[in-house]
Amino acid sequence: MAEATTGGTQHRDYVAQLGSSDPDEVYGALRTIKNSVIGSSTKKALYVRLDVVAAVSAVLASAATGVASRIQATAIVGSLARSRTAGAAVAGGAVARGVVAALVRQLEAGTDARLVEASERALYALLAHSETLGAAGGAAEDALVAQVLGIIGSDGGGGGGDSAAGARAAIRLELAVLIVARLCVSEARQYMVANTGVIDALVRQLARTPAHVRLQAATLQALAALSYENGEICAALAEVGDGGVAAAVVRLARADDAHVRLHACRVAANLSRMRVLAGGDVQAVVVPALVRLVREPAGDVDAVQALGYVCHEDADVQAAARAAGAIDALVGRLAAAWAAAQGDFGDAARFAREARAAFLALGTVVSTNEESRRAAVDAGAFGHIVRALGHGDAGVRSAACLCARYIVRSVAICRTHAADAGLLRPLVGLLEDGSSDVQATAAATLVNLLSDFSPLRADALRLGLLPRLAALLDAGAPAVRRNALWAVRNLLVNVDDATRAAVVDAVGMPRLLALSEGADAALREHAVGALRNVAADSAAGCDALVAARGAPATLHLLAALAARPDTPADRPALVHALYLANNIVVRSDAHRAAVAAHVPLVQAVVAHVESRAPEVAVAALWCVSSVAAAAAGDDAAAGLRLLRRLGVPQVLARLLADPALPLEVQDRVKGCMDSLGCTDGLGAGASPDDTT
Amino acid sequence: MTASSKQNISLDEWEGKMSEVPIAKSDLNQLIMNYLIIEGYKDAAEKFSEESGLKTKVDLGSIEERMQIRFAVQSGDIKGAIERVNDLNPDILDTDPRLYFHLQQQHLIELIRLGHAEEALEFAQEELAPHGEEHPELLRELEKTMALLAFDFGASGGNGVAVGGLLDFAHRQKTANELNAALLAAHSQPREPKLPALLQLLAWTQEQLDEKATYPRINNIVSAVLSDPAAEHNTPGAGTGASASASTA
Repeated sequence: MAEATTGGTQHRDYVAQLGSSDPDEVYGALRTIKNSVIGSSTKKALYVRLDVVAAVSAVLASAATGVASRIQATAIVGSLARSRTAGAAVAGGAVARGVVAALVRQLEAGTDARLVEASERALYALLAHSETLGAAGGAAEDALVAQVLGIIGSDGGGGGGDSAAGARAAIRLELAVLIVARLCVSEARQYMVANTGVIDALVRQLARTPAHVRLQAATLQALAALSYENGEICAALAEVGDGGVAAAVVRLARADDAHVRLHACRVAANLSRMRVLAGGDVQAVVVPALVRLVREPAGDVDAVQALGYVCHEDADVQAAARAAGAIDALVGRLAAAWAAAQGDFGDAARFAREARAAFLALGTVVSTNEESRRAAVDAGAFGHIVRALGHGDAGVRSAACLCARYIVRSVAICRTHAADAGLLRPLVGLLEDGSSDVQATAAATLVNLLSDFSPLRADALRLGLLPRLAALLDAGAPAVRRNALWAVRNLLVNVDDATRAAVVDAVGMPRLLALSEGADAALREHAVGALRNVAADSAAGCDALVAARGAPATLHLLAALAARPDTPADRPALVHALYLANNIVVRSDAHRAAVAAHVPLVQAVVAHVESRAPEVAVAALWCVSSVAAAAAGDDAAAGLRLLRRLGVPQVLARLLADPALPLEVQDRVKGCMDSLGCTDGLGAGASPDDTT
Repeated sequence: MTASSKQNISLDEWEGKMSEVPIAKSDLNQLIMNYLIIEGYKDAAEKFSEESGLKTKVDLGSIEERMQIRFAVQSGDIKGAIERVNDLNPDILDTDPRLYFHLQQQHLIELIRLGHAEEALEFAQEELAPHGEEHPELLRELEKTMALLAFDFGASGGNGVAVGGLLDFAHRQKTANELNAALLAAHSQPREPKLPALLQLLAWTQEQLDEKATYPRINNIVSAVLSDPAAEHNTPGAGTGASASASTA
């Protein structure tokens, strides 16, 4: 270990000694530098500034360098690569100077075992940086994979030897497996590694090494990295070995060692998300195991992330998580993180990691279930959320917003606890946050919080919600624009004329109309939805909508919106457009006849009556009914002639004769037929409420 | 619960029940081997392995390395211990900032013990302070250690302030144990032997049982002799809290 020095002169001397022609001097300097940098970020940064990477690279490149010096030099590279501040630069420098290639050569068969181990450690540390993989190039990477697979495939010790050689072999095997895990950073690399046949070797390893828990944990870590978000590899894992990997990981989720349990649960979570692992095992074994890991005081934050991951979009797994006590465990974790972050010695970075993971996992666990949301509120989640909405870290604020968003999906909670929790003011304030992620998630939370039955709507408007939402419609990030428009759309449901006018004035009717024709499908959906809501409740709304561009241009727009093809991306906007036309016919005395007589518009509507998508067909049928009813009393014959000329009665008869027609469409067809046969006033045109 | 409502188990009954519990000799041997390996008694472990026929998958040679490191810490040669650890496995101290800090802290304590105050101060500034900056959770311990310099404990020992305990040789043992546990974990071995935990479990179980029954208790874990409850009945405070409950009735 270097002694305390002044000005770094001594350290500079050590670096200079690396170029000496005296091997003993070189060895001494290497050993001193190694013992200085290991464990010390300051010394790592100092030596990197002194360009030790170049000097060590030269030592490794020299054929005259002996094994003992190579081991020291290799250890230095590995330690420097672990530097939080300089690690990436070290990796880049190591690649540029051929160090990575040299380390890979040091893995070749016949190399001194201690040097192989040191090389593996250094490569594992270097692979934490994308610079290592990206710049290493195909040949070096192929060589690395080949050498590592050679170590895994060889039976030297196999992790089960009872000799000194066997024990060290288990360590080398562990490092090789960890390198495989680090290689799987993308789907392409997952396939590249899987295609080498390493899966079979890893699965055999899993079955053979109960005695070496670190090797077992490393093997599971590699399998988790290989299978993450990859359905094909997950399916392959289910086929491999005796009973597949699934049975093994479920068993290991109950292992004594916490690391083995964690990584087994991560593999199981991957298999579950790709629908390869039976739901029963996930709910009965994996989820409770993860909850226990989350509860451990010094528990890895990876366990929290894995819990959120396995619960994502799976109501049954979320229910199992609730039953296992996940909600209390996650809220407890938040409380512990706050407590640890207090005072002069709190670790802000650690708190941010913990809080982000806990909020995201908690939000996922409660995302689909009312009882879970209530349990979260009872456990005190709102207190943590409100506190986190004002935190300095944007990731914490965003994660807290997401958690709140899922909790306030509950109508009951919106009406009661949310109002008392003090969520509204900070959320409205976050619409002006410096982070677009925070803005987007805050807007999405307000979408749920300010639905038409919420007592917070009036307060939100008084807090200046409208100008903030209007400003976000010009934001750079698409998610911000979409969520802001979505919030505007929801604000227009079941409101009085004055509020409706205020919302429309803040956003601008011309802007809404322009967004309804824009290129972004999600923006079109919410814009047309907002227009539908404007026209839903009163004639004043319809009149304001039509007045913006004038009747001919508005009808032309309606016809264009209704004529869009029915694709999955455009279907929501199409449905809104059909109901928009229907609402104008129903609510507006001034424009009813014009809509009913607009041939392109009516043609476009009629074309969707036979849509295979029930929601589109029902919307079109409502519109046809309203048009038919609107024709009565004015020019009954002309309106009905248009519909008959378009063959509507025959279409309806054909639909009714179809035994496979969904019930909701059948009902609407009958109502439509009544309207066509009925010439006395309105009656079938009241539009269904929009509460989405 | 009063003495009269407790279940009474005689010595004969107890011994009878114990003889029904199957305990394999091999399990007992494993426990002993586990203790010898983790605590570092290499020669004893090798001899025991020969005599019992018990094969262990642990590399007995690694015990020697581990004990040399442990001895270095116990002798106050922290620098030497760190160098040996880095030779054995450079990842241990690079990935365990708390352990590394404790070793550096121990080195600082040794400098203070030897009366090298200036060198200690320089070492604290150059090595410990930056480490504490990066790991704020360690700053509290650093603060306590720096108090040794502030109050000039030196080789003369403490003056009653709590931080003086850092200068005790027991602190070296604590640091040595922490390092030993890390070395064991790096080789997939348990961090602690099972025997002490079993004895703690025995003591806890007896405390729980004291509230519910009178039974042949083990009062001396060295001799492990079962006391005869008939001989101890009506002897207030016969070495157990549960007996005292008879007097509170």
